[in-house]
Amino acid sequence: MFSRYGRQMILPEIGEEGQKKLLSAKVLIIGCGGLGTPCATYLAQAGIGQLDLVDADTVSFSNLNRQFFFTQKDIGAYKAEIAEKKLVQMNGALCVHGHVKHIDERTVDVILQNFDVVVDCVDNQETRKIVHRASLKLGIPLVEGGIDGFYGFISCIKKGYPCLNCMDFFAGREKEKTPVLGAVAGIIGSMQALEAIKIILGMDNALFGQILYYDAKRQEMESVSIPENETCPLHGLHKE
Amino acid sequence: MIEVRLFATLRENREKIYFLPAQDFHCALDIITYLGIPAEEVTTLLINGFHKKPEDEVKDTDIVALFPPVGGG
Repeated sequence: MFSRYGRQMILPEIGEEGQKKLLSAKVLIIGCGGLGTPCATYLAQAGIGQLDLVDADTVSFSNLNRQFFFTQKDIGAYKAEIAEKKLVQMNGALCVHGHVKHIDERTVDVILQNFDVVVDCVDNQETRKIVHRASLKLGIPLVEGGIDGFYGFISCIKKGYPCLNCMDFFAGREKEKTPVLGAVAGIIGSMQALEAIKIILGMDNALFGQILYYDAKRQEMESVSIPENETCPLHGLHKE
Repeated sequence: MIEVRLFATLRENREKIYFLPAQDFHCALDIITYLGIPAEEVTTLLINGFHKKPEDEVKDTDIVALFPPVGGG
């Protein structure tokens, strides 16, 4: 069974023990779009034992510039169901579930509970904030990511560290249609998968309390420490 | 001088970093206005790594960092 993962098990950070951690991990990906597609792909290929995907949307033509799970014949089908089929084809040894569900204040706690890591790949700030609050409340590490044109960010959230809401990250007015380039979504989604893997392996350099910005025009990355904000309404939740 | 760092889409048609004479600016909003950034595009403002408001004072040697929302997926 391990031969499939042999090349990554050469890494001292993984080895047999780390691969067992990955194979027994339960990861929830929220959103099967531009970020969720590459993220789910790399987590499945890395051997995450249980991979659940939540998305209530159906495939449209405007998704096809970046969401490589889907083709023209999938237009109108539920993304979560197609993604589940693709991931099972990719790695049949894993337990993969696609859920056609909306995430809102009412459903979020039930959907998130029992996972080891949550990866937020949604396309709107309102859902990000709901997921953010729930992950802090439930004590589940969260990997956040977002994109806007040639720019993207990732950050890891858990109790004991300043959160994105501490820096008013969700306060801004959203664009009606955020520009998205597939290659940028691929990079950020892949980086989210990488952070989830690092968290599962117990590596000490995941981006908790940090936000990393990616500038695809300049091909630069810059990490910023998130300052703790005593007035943050989520702040009490992330205190140990 | 005040060092101003722009992130993500705030860099569009601008530099990523500016060094501005401190005597020309009273508060962070003055800098945002000078750089032609619509105030509503700045969701997060840090001065020397601390969370601040646009009307907060800036002074010589400060590092001001400005961030827009990045919400797509």
